Amino acid sequence: MRHALNVAIGPVAFRVGSPWKAPVAALAGLYADYPAPADAVCDFTVRLEPEKPWRRWLRPSVAIHGDYMLPDAAPLSLAHGLLAAEMGMNLQMALGQKRFLLLHAATVERGGRAVILTGESGAGKSTLAALLGERGWRLMGDEFALLDCESGLLHPFPRAISLKNGSIAVMRKVAGEGRFGPVLEGTPKGTIRHLKPRADAVARMTEPARPALILFPRFGSERAMRPVGQSEVFVRLTQASTNYVALALRGFEALSHLVGACPAVAIDYPDTDTAISLVEELFRELPQ
Amino acid sequence: MAGPIYIADDQGAVRAVQLDGLTALFHAPSGMTHLVAPPAPQILDALRQGPADARTLLARISAVYEIEEGSAEAIEARLDELEAAGLVRRA
Amino acid sequence: MGDVMSEQSSKEGVLANPTRRTVLALGAAAASTVVTIRPALAQTVGSVMNCEIPVPGPEHSGQYIAADGSLVAPGTPGSFAPPARPITGEEAKTLLRGGLTPNGMDSQSAQAYANYIRRLQSGMSGFTCYASLQLPR
Repeated sequence: MRHALNVAIGPVAFRVGSPWKAPVAALAGLYADYPAPADAVCDFTVRLEPEKPWRRWLRPSVAIHGDYMLPDAAPLSLAHGLLAAEMGMNLQMALGQKRFLLLHAATVERGGRAVILTGESGAGKSTLAALLGERGWRLMGDEFALLDCESGLLHPFPRAISLKNGSIAVMRKVAGEGRFGPVLEGTPKGTIRHLKPRADAVARMTEPARPALILFPRFGSERAMRPVGQSEVFVRLTQASTNYVALALRGFEALSHLVGACPAVAIDYPDTDTAISLVEELFRELPQ
Repeated sequence: MAGPIYIADDQGAVRAVQLDGLTALFHAPSGMTHLVAPPAPQILDALRQGPADARTLLARISAVYEIEEGSAEAIEARLDELEAAGLVRRA
Repeated sequence: MGDVMSEQSSKEGVLANPTRRTVLALGAAAASTVVTIRPALAQTVGSVMNCEIPVPGPEHSGQYIAADGSLVAPGTPGSFAPPARPITGEEAKTLLRGGLTPNGMDSQSAQAYANYIRRLQSGMSGFTCYASLQLPR
């Protein structure tokens, strides 16, 4: 591949390459402060390639290939090459990750203990996690929670945070322009911009944390909280995992241990300030 | 007339974790996970004493638990579910 | 009143069967007691880009669970207290210390709970978001 970037994100090393310069350059910009992987050999490779040879120049069309691929996945335009790179990395994790149980969740950490924010996508978990990251919490990740099957610890996976439409403006108020990636318009999800995690989140990306609390945040209602039973949490988390089934007994033990160890609460809030206060209150009340 | 005889895998084949009210089971031979409510775990325990039909299982369970309006028919319905899940099979 | 009650129950304690056994409900023939975790098979239409997982949020608030696992108004005959209900900040402290979980759930409410849990599965799990890479052509 003519253009390639090796980047370490938490415990995972990616190689992302392409015959086009633009997507790799955009990715390099977003991950400029991240270390190169320690080993020469990366865990996963992503290749952003033309669907057909002539599509390299004619209405350039980026197909997402790599160690793991989805047949018939529709390609993206070159203008959205950065998105293709991010999706490609997601795909490698979803299909290839064996060491960690993957949960679709944001995770934030304070004092060595982590809060898992999980639930419906589009409900604002990424924005809430990003805001918590600006308010004294360490953002461990906004997309995937990595649960180590051996230790039961959560490992950071601090990718650039994908913000859509209104969330972009929300975060622009609290984070400087230099922390944002390019504006990507006309995506199926509307306008997207990536936000780089804060410097300390990147610097501490090899530092795991003990899971302490599971939250199901829901935007748009009066302030409220509800306990969620262990069996219900267990099933919801299997629904939110890309590799629970593939991990067999290790996945079962890791998940049942997580569910047994962490209280789970569903929180409702009408605005983000209320959300943050709910997270703070529950975290404060955790037994030491 | 005795019904079909059922067999459960021995304890080593199933990993059980008690969650609130339900039991999470990992069935190693199939790699599948199930969450089960009573009387399923009790039926599985009773079956591990040895292959049995519904009537025998009812007797085994009644020896330990207070069964209100118990019937072999209800046990059979539970056995059908467990069989569909792959947790028990017919001898 | 309280004194009378405790006197009575201590009398009952002496008279009660010291080896009273746990009651086990076998479940109605149609009831279900097994929930199998299903791997992803279905596609999510329109969930693109960053794995939009349709994990249902705990939508109900204060509703109770009927025997078949559906949510009904509190107090509906035959329904059981839900695994999730509104709690105050004070209760949150108790919750976080391991209280407020439905311990000692009897077999009937456990069966209703299992039915409720089964409905949470939309037949998909997180893997399907990768089918989301199939953007409309």
